Amino acid sequence: MFKLNLKIAWRNLWKNKVYAAINIGGLALGLTAFVLMLLYINHEESFDSWSPDLKNVYQIREKHDFFTPDNKEHWQDAVDSRMAALVKENIPQAIAVTRVDQEWDWNAGYSVKVRHADPVMIQKVKDADSSFFSVFDHQFIQGNTETALKSPKSIVLKESIALKLFGTTKVLGKTLKLVIWRNDPGQQLTVTGVVKEPQTPQTVGFNAIMRTGEKDKDPDNITAKHYCQVYAKMYGDLDSVSLNKTLQQVYVKAKKASFAKQKINYNDYYKDGKTPGLRALQLAEVHANPAIHLSWKDKLKPVVGISIFLLLVSVINFVNLATAQSVNRAKEVGVKKVLGSNKHQLLTQFLLESALQSVIALFLCVVLVEVVLPAFNQHFNVTLSFWHNPRLLLMIFQLVMLFVVVTLLAGFYPSWVLSNYNPVSVLKGNYANGLKGTAIRNVLVVFQFVISVTFIIAIGVMYQQTKYVSNKDLGFDKGNLINIRTNYEEKFAERLRKIPGVKYIATTTQVMGNAFNIPEEITYKDNNIALNTVTVSMDALQALGVKVMQGRIFAKEYKQDTVNAVVINESAAKLIDKYPVGKLYDVKSDKEKYTFQIVGVIKDYHNEGFDKAVLPTIYKVTHLGGTSMTNNVLVRFNSENSAQIIRKIEAEWKVAYPNYPMSYVTMNDSLNKVLEENNRFMNMIVLFSTISVSLSLLGLFALSTFVAKRRTKEVAVRKVLGAANYEIINLLNRSFLILVIIANVISWPIAYILIKKWLDAFAYRIDMPVLPFIVATVVSITIAILTVSIQARKAATMDPVTALKYE
Amino acid sequence: MIELKNIEKYYANKGVKSYILRHVTTTIKQGEFVSIMGPSGAGKSTLLNILGMLEEPTYGTYEFMGENVTSLNERKRIELYRNHIGFVFQAYHLIDEMTVYENIEAPLLYKKVGSAERASRIANLLDRFNIVAKKDLFPNQLSGGQQQLVGIARALAAQPSIILADEPTGNLQSAQAEEIMQLFQKLNKEDGITIIQVTHSEKNAEYGNRILHIADGVVKGDVQV
Ligand SMILES: Nc1ncnc2c1ncn2[C@@H]1O[C@H](COP(=O)(O)OP(=O)(O)O)[C@@H](O)[C@H]1O
Ligand SMILES: [Mg+2]
Repeated sequence: MFKLNLKIAWRNLWKNKVYAAINIGGLALGLTAFVLMLLYINHEESFDSWSPDLKNVYQIREKHDFFTPDNKEHWQDAVDSRMAALVKENIPQAIAVTRVDQEWDWNAGYSVKVRHADPVMIQKVKDADSSFFSVFDHQFIQGNTETALKSPKSIVLKESIALKLFGTTKVLGKTLKLVIWRNDPGQQLTVTGVVKEPQTPQTVGFNAIMRTGEKDKDPDNITAKHYCQVYAKMYGDLDSVSLNKTLQQVYVKAKKASFAKQKINYNDYYKDGKTPGLRALQLAEVHANPAIHLSWKDKLKPVVGISIFLLLVSVINFVNLATAQSVNRAKEVGVKKVLGSNKHQLLTQFLLESALQSVIALFLCVVLVEVVLPAFNQHFNVTLSFWHNPRLLLMIFQLVMLFVVVTLLAGFYPSWVLSNYNPVSVLKGNYANGLKGTAIRNVLVVFQFVISVTFIIAIGVMYQQTKYVSNKDLGFDKGNLINIRTNYEEKFAERLRKIPGVKYIATTTQVMGNAFNIPEEITYKDNNIALNTVTVSMDALQALGVKVMQGRIFAKEYKQDTVNAVVINESAAKLIDKYPVGKLYDVKSDKEKYTFQIVGVIKDYHNEGFDKAVLPTIYKVTHLGGTSMTNNVLVRFNSENSAQIIRKIEAEWKVAYPNYPMSYVTMNDSLNKVLEENNRFMNMIVLFSTISVSLSLLGLFALSTFVAKRRTKEVAVRKVLGAANYEIINLLNRSFLILVIIANVISWPIAYILIKKWLDAFAYRIDMPVLPFIVATVVSITIAILTVSIQARKAATMDPVTALKYE
Repeated sequence: MIELKNIEKYYANKGVKSYILRHVTTTIKQGEFVSIMGPSGAGKSTLLNILGMLEEPTYGTYEFMGENVTSLNERKRIELYRNHIGFVFQAYHLIDEMTVYENIEAPLLYKKVGSAERASRIANLLDRFNIVAKKDLFPNQLSGGQQQLVGIARALAAQPSIILADEPTGNLQSAQAEEIMQLFQKLNKEDGITIIQVTHSEKNAEYGNRILHIADGVVKGDVQV
């Protein structure tokens, strides 16, 4: 029976090749998008699961407002290095606690030199204390956990890096020279271990872990802090609620003690909603809960929605075509019923048919996934793989589940309709009541078009917003400006200034691509105002090319400028004073009071994505820009011919810092990087909408074919009665047109709500435009009419005799 | 074998009952070959459908093989279809996606007949109806008469005790029709299969041994031939 049913299913597919192709192809596309998303989710879910030991590892998070893009408190993973000792001393279950460098994506890496080879830049070389491998259970190829970081000046390499540097993994005892910044004299490190790349991605990813000794101690000076990440391995299962309660108590106590020594008033410090906080987060949770940025789950939400919709569109095609086709299968059902088949057997048969199509679609999907995966990986900057996935079994299980769900979704309704056909009506010959299911089919067509129209509207709005953003005045001149990743040094800057074509060499703590925000509270006319402070060198604002709105910006002629003159931006002026030039304000610390004078106001300039508002900011010059050590050296060129000038700068660099290669970005690239994520999202929406709209139209095309066919007799009779071709085309169009119009009416509010939500995430955004709504409606109606008309014309121009003869 | 008592069938349309069958009472015994005749719209097909349990009467009782089947649950009905009743249709109603062989095989599959038994029964039927050469063809590759032969072979495959045929020769030319009627007669005489057919033609009705005349839903005559 099964074999026969399969045979019949195959013959049916073959007979309706075109529809089967539309069904299966559409389903394969929908599935592909969905499977790619599944792969991605699996990848993200698999973070930090390479060893069962890791379930006892916790990341320590401290609540503070340093280095945040909005100057507000966050639960940050960069914590005061003293937290390690605090945890170790106060939590008896803490077996091992380690301090390790946090990742800083502005860092180009460290220069590593092996004997006489040229230095190579290696990223993700992290400094840690001796406990690192006691907390993170890595598999050693050479050396072991106990000896690896036992003595300072040791380094443990990942297998791939050992091979890259030495050509072998047998490297125990070998030495290498590490240069951390350009005029670092460098240090000799001994390789004490080689570890395997774990099976799954890691939050604390690294190419090498070293113990320079820096991370072994906390700063002596109580006012100084070293920020790093702290991880603790606990003994046995812990109740995280009580653990966090203890941590919080211990932290508050420690803070109070420390403030007392520094003579800071605890209550003064924690006010206006600022609260102290320390807690531990299980490692498994860390990747899904990043400190500041949106978590991958939140980022993925719209994508999940979109790919589910895409899958739904293809499933709806499937259902619609299958129910429309059911007219042709009615006889089979009727006959089988009188031959002794029960409903259950028929249901199984038709489900088998949709299963057959799902299987083919799934097979195509796997092929498609393989084909598009490289492009997908490149686009989303991941390395996903299907066949080499460590969770292949899970993937296959998911695919089987997906297959079952899709088969049931797509097959159940049509099968149910078919198997419910009453044999009498069929055998009486009037099974033209294939009108059964029309209502549901119409609902599904509307639903499909709602999705498509919403997509079209979304594309329109996104396009306009993107255009707005890319044409937006940044507030500084991004052309002819590069940023070298290094700290400012006057002597070297002077040398660069001598190169013809170089207009300014400057530094700042805040520039697009690498911005550090430091909060400060000022007192102006007895009002306390929270502001952001940026340290710049004398000509940094000139180098950036900012616009001066009032007063002046810093200049060498003014002695005062390195003492107490500040420039503020417009956002700050709004908070301080409408005409602030010449006005004074105070900054109070525990004992002293410093007074500053505002000398100018500049237009707000952007240094983050457009989702973030420019912070109200004060710009200060310290002499020589010495304290603004945040790895920025701005170079403004006079001419367009920057390539040649950059070569000269690189030559100067090589002379000054032979052991450390120079690395820089152009401001254009920095901006693109900021816009990248949004553009990526936009591209995906465009791609998915295109697929979804084409699938819907293909579905409509096929559906109208069936309807036109079903109505051949009606059309023929009408023609014999004297109806003109266009009247008949109108007749067929009308039913679909109404559906598309209803779909448009429904999509408008849905699109409005969704897009408003998207737009609201931008601090700088367009008003909701009307045009995309109108365009989407016009486009969807036009295309629907065209699609249906092609079929309708065919029916209308057919010779009525042929239709009537074969009834 | 069949007992109809006071069978009535009507459709209520806007409160008006339109009767299709009225007071039909009759008995059909095992081994009879009955022809139902009457003008178009008289209710012949409706009566046959009721006999085949495809439709339920609005009133009256129907006993099939001593069992009241007036309103039957689906499982019971399917049981009867699998074991006792074979249908033959005017429009043949072969399944287009199945070959001749597979069409004949279908009822046996539902009846869960073993594969060896299936093969021998089908071979037998193909042989008997002279369509062995056609066994791998699809219905649309056959003439009307050949299709009806396959239809009858299919009805016989499950070895039913009764065959219900609604104008089995209505779409056929007279030569082919004659062939089918001779076949029915043979099945009735040699195999003892009860046959009830609807027909318009006096000549076809002659092949049977009893004629029921119906007009306006009422049995007007019941003649033994
Ligand atoms: N579903 C129905 N609703 C209303 N009237 C019906 C229905 N089915 C059949 N009829 C009517 O019943 C009458 C008998 O039909 P039928 O038994 O098919 O006649 P025939 O003797 O030609 O086979 C016809 O007048 C037909 O119009
Ligand atoms: Mg009839």
